[in-house]
Amino acid sequence: MGSATVKLTIDGREVEVPSGTRVIEAAKKLGIEIPHYCYHPALSIAGSCRMCLVEIEKFPKPAISCHTVAADGMVVHTDSGVAKQARAAMLEFLLANHPLDCPICDQAGECKLQQYYMTVGQYDSALLDNKVKKSKAKIIGPHVMLDSERCILCSRCVRFTDEISKSHELGIFNRGDHSELSNYPGMSLDNPYSGNVVDICPVGALTDRDFRFKVRVWYLDSAPSICHGCARGCNIRVDYLTRRLHHNDGKRIARFKPRFNPEVNGHWICDAGRYSYKTLEDEDRLYNPRVTDGNGDNPGWNAITGRIADALSSHISEYGVGSVAVIASASMTNEEMWAARQLFYDGLKIEKIAWRIPPGPDDIDDDLLIRADKNANTFGAEQIFGPMTHAADVQQVLDKIAEGKIKAWIVLDRDLSPAFGEEKIRKLTGGLKFSLYAGSHLHATSRSCRFLLPTAVFTEKEGTITNFSGRVQYFPLVVPPLGDALPMLEALSRLSAALKLEPISTDPGAVFTALAGDIAHFKGTSYAELIKRWAPISKIPS
Amino acid sequence: MNAVLYWTSTIAKSAYILVFPLTLAFFLAWAERKQSAVMQDRIGANRAKFLGRPFLGLVHMVCDAVKMFVKEDFVPDSGHRVLHTLAPFLAMFFALITFAVIPFGYQLTIAGETIGLQVADLNVGILFIFAMASLGVYGMVLAGWSSNNNYALLGGIRASAQMISYEICIGMTIIGAILALGTLSMQDLVIRQGYHYFGWLPRWGVLLQPLGFLLFFIAGIAETKRVPFDMPEGESEIIGFNLEYSSMKFAMFLFTDFIETVLIAAVTVTLFFGGWQIPWLFESGFVWPWGGGWEIHPNVVNILRMAAFAAKVTFFCWLMMAIRWTLPRFRYDQLMDLGWKWLLPLSLANIVVTALVVLLVN
Amino acid sequence: MAVQNIIKVAARRREATLGFWERVYIFEVVRGLWITTEHFVGNLYYHILKLFGIIKVHPLTPTIQYPEEQRTLAPRLRTLHRLVRREDGSPRCVACMMCETVCPALCIKIVAAEGDKPQIEKRPKSFDIDMGRCIFCGYCVEACPEDAIRMDTGILDIAAYSREGMVLDIDTLLSLQPAQRRTDKEVDELQRRLLQ
Repeated sequence: MGSATVKLTIDGREVEVPSGTRVIEAAKKLGIEIPHYCYHPALSIAGSCRMCLVEIEKFPKPAISCHTVAADGMVVHTDSGVAKQARAAMLEFLLANHPLDCPICDQAGECKLQQYYMTVGQYDSALLDNKVKKSKAKIIGPHVMLDSERCILCSRCVRFTDEISKSHELGIFNRGDHSELSNYPGMSLDNPYSGNVVDICPVGALTDRDFRFKVRVWYLDSAPSICHGCARGCNIRVDYLTRRLHHNDGKRIARFKPRFNPEVNGHWICDAGRYSYKTLEDEDRLYNPRVTDGNGDNPGWNAITGRIADALSSHISEYGVGSVAVIASASMTNEEMWAARQLFYDGLKIEKIAWRIPPGPDDIDDDLLIRADKNANTFGAEQIFGPMTHAADVQQVLDKIAEGKIKAWIVLDRDLSPAFGEEKIRKLTGGLKFSLYAGSHLHATSRSCRFLLPTAVFTEKEGTITNFSGRVQYFPLVVPPLGDALPMLEALSRLSAALKLEPISTDPGAVFTALAGDIAHFKGTSYAELIKRWAPISKIPS
Repeated sequence: MNAVLYWTSTIAKSAYILVFPLTLAFFLAWAERKQSAVMQDRIGANRAKFLGRPFLGLVHMVCDAVKMFVKEDFVPDSGHRVLHTLAPFLAMFFALITFAVIPFGYQLTIAGETIGLQVADLNVGILFIFAMASLGVYGMVLAGWSSNNNYALLGGIRASAQMISYEICIGMTIIGAILALGTLSMQDLVIRQGYHYFGWLPRWGVLLQPLGFLLFFIAGIAETKRVPFDMPEGESEIIGFNLEYSSMKFAMFLFTDFIETVLIAAVTVTLFFGGWQIPWLFESGFVWPWGGGWEIHPNVVNILRMAAFAAKVTFFCWLMMAIRWTLPRFRYDQLMDLGWKWLLPLSLANIVVTALVVLLVN
Repeated sequence: MAVQNIIKVAARRREATLGFWERVYIFEVVRGLWITTEHFVGNLYYHILKLFGIIKVHPLTPTIQYPEEQRTLAPRLRTLHRLVRREDGSPRCVACMMCETVCPALCIKIVAAEGDKPQIEKRPKSFDIDMGRCIFCGYCVEACPEDAIRMDTGILDIAAYSREGMVLDIDTLLSLQPAQRRTDKEVDELQRRLLQ
């Protein structure tokens, strides 16, 4: 002992792992997946499901691979007759009281019980006794529903609440086959990470109340993406629907799931981010270009960009460029910010580009994932807009409007009303001579603008964002934009063309290359490399 | 003959000769459906009902008529409107006018006056038939040409080629019959078929001209442009000269076919099956070959003869319908082969043999 | 070239099989006419008997006067779908989407909802079958884990004035009844008729 690594043989293949590694992890290194329910790499080891039994030579009985520490010279068989028999018997035991709920169970299709029954089970049931009845469809928190009958008592969720969220809501009560998972009396599973128990539950015991009965999981396609809920930039998987849109209330994005990235979010995401998909396709989406006064309904992109260009040019020639401010969203991608800078600062010489809004009093950084800054790309905005703008704070712009010094604004995909109040925004915009909103949603701010351009939400475009620590992460297009909406980059490009300024590329890759050549933080990063590495982890620029 | 009787009888005869083929054609259209069904172990049209009863499918004919009348009368934009409209009328006119020389009976005696049961007793009646039948092809050709449609034009050309080919054969076989019976008048032709060989065998044209009958009948069917000779209209595909016709004009072409069927049946009966003759029935009544007889009033005899003519024509209509529902369509080259390489030489041979026999016998 | 050869061969074969009298054709025509006339006369006889009410059924005509007469359906024939009810009258369907998933014609559209009774957790809010797309493969019946959909109504004349009309909703599907069950004797009779 004492050496840093140990060598062992699994299924005839030798593998060298750091000492202290569990056999299940060593097997994973060889690409061998040992069936398991209770083992989770981010949680402590419980060894309660007994599903990961393997045969280890010189061991008298099959041993659970999740708890057995790999030792030098160990010979493990995961596929031998003993191991197979042990697993099948264990699965039968786990399924003894499992109800035949698959037709109505949301987990069906991504259920480990189904999966392992088909791969390692396939036994004929010998069960003669009636199944034990427990409570079903019990609401244990704002997002989670518990079906005790389906639970196999792996205790992953209990360990999650004990070790990760440290909120201790869940426990296993009673004994024997009456053991039942439940929340502690008087407690509700309402911690900000409660949705994760649904992800880690290997069966359909804990299901998402929000996703309940929306769509069967086998109708969903998945794409990796980055959460735009806060400055953390958690890696997520977007599950979406392209056909059979009568499911999921006709919406394409069905749910967000965490995507493992040890350097950003580990295995988890917060509930706020998980359910942020709802806003992507809600009824407040802006589908068509609009002019809110006069003949405003859907003039089409070409007509409206022409009218915007005319109105903006005449405004600048009348009141001067100093009377125009741009309020950018700090959730835009790096490329969009660069394009906005090119168009408004380099092209139109607007020097007031504001993006900064201080977090509200309720927004705080917690010690797991959640950041107080609810904008996905504030770091990027600091890098790209920071050096040139004369008004980084939105508050400054609003003050100047109140003073009458600013008579026109261009709002890029941002609702100011939550931070400053609807009344104030409406009062201020009343005095503006020109107002343009380019964004994805209709809200108090956009409704008070004259010209509205619909842009895509983040699942409908590709690009890169920079999280609070400076990590640049790429996310791809998942579904095409709704209605006549266009990605912000394309909208800015068309605006630029209508204003007869330097053309702006609509290709995020090209824009990123230009950006990386200029801004120090992005130097040496290539878009292609970001794409290549987006799925597991994205690159931290030096 | 007094003028009143003359005119009333003429009008009545004309009416009869107009109504007879039209009625028969109407029933042929019905028989087209029903006879084919009965031949093919089916039931046939029976869904249209009047007062809850299908009346053997006859209600369908009324429905068809109503449909034909109310459908859109279509003339192609680029077609010749006048000729397009004229064509079906021409076709039908020439088919109907031919009946004028067909003797549908012998004579009736009313108020001491004798009325020949034939609208026009031309002494060259047979040539009149020949002429009118030839003119009938103009209807088809005009229909094909005035539609300004390639398919219709080709249909018209097929029609004219077929009609000309087979009219020659018809003419040749008629010559055979004329030679054998020695007259051109239709009424005389029938009268001369009233004799009996050996006192019992009616001297019908078919006995004198068996080959002539066969050739005439085949050519006659070809003249009606019906299966198995229906290339001009392509009945099952409607891709013939009447392609661009709809509503009543189309119905007129359809009807012309049936009238021509009646016509060919009538001419066949007149030339080869004794016309209105009934074996052993003479002006005074039946005279049985084995002796004895029945005395019958001459007018009753003649009415019986009219009925006999109608019955014979109906039988041949049935036969042509049976042929139409039994045989498949010929290929066009087969049609031409048959017309020019078989029927024409055979009919020429028939003339020669007939002429020789007539010469030798006389 | 190949086509010409085929034509030549076919022509030779035809000539080889046809004798002189057949090629004269006229006698073959008479023979054919004789066959059709036989049928004509025989059928006409029975038609007349039937017309005067002497017989009820024409023995030689296999025509079935649809829709007044309908032939007996085979017991396993797949016909219009219906949704089966539980004993309490609610649909058996639990909206598991198995049929929708397996349907190769994509004609089934189900929208799931929370159950409306304590013992029913999930139920179909809507269940539409587009009969215009259905290919009657019966996979939905096979796939159903709840025996909630069956194709035993015996209804085959499915027609509508519009494409939308061909879409049957859950109420229609629930209201349909199974076809009358046939006795063994009827099934035997049916098989005898089908084997004839």
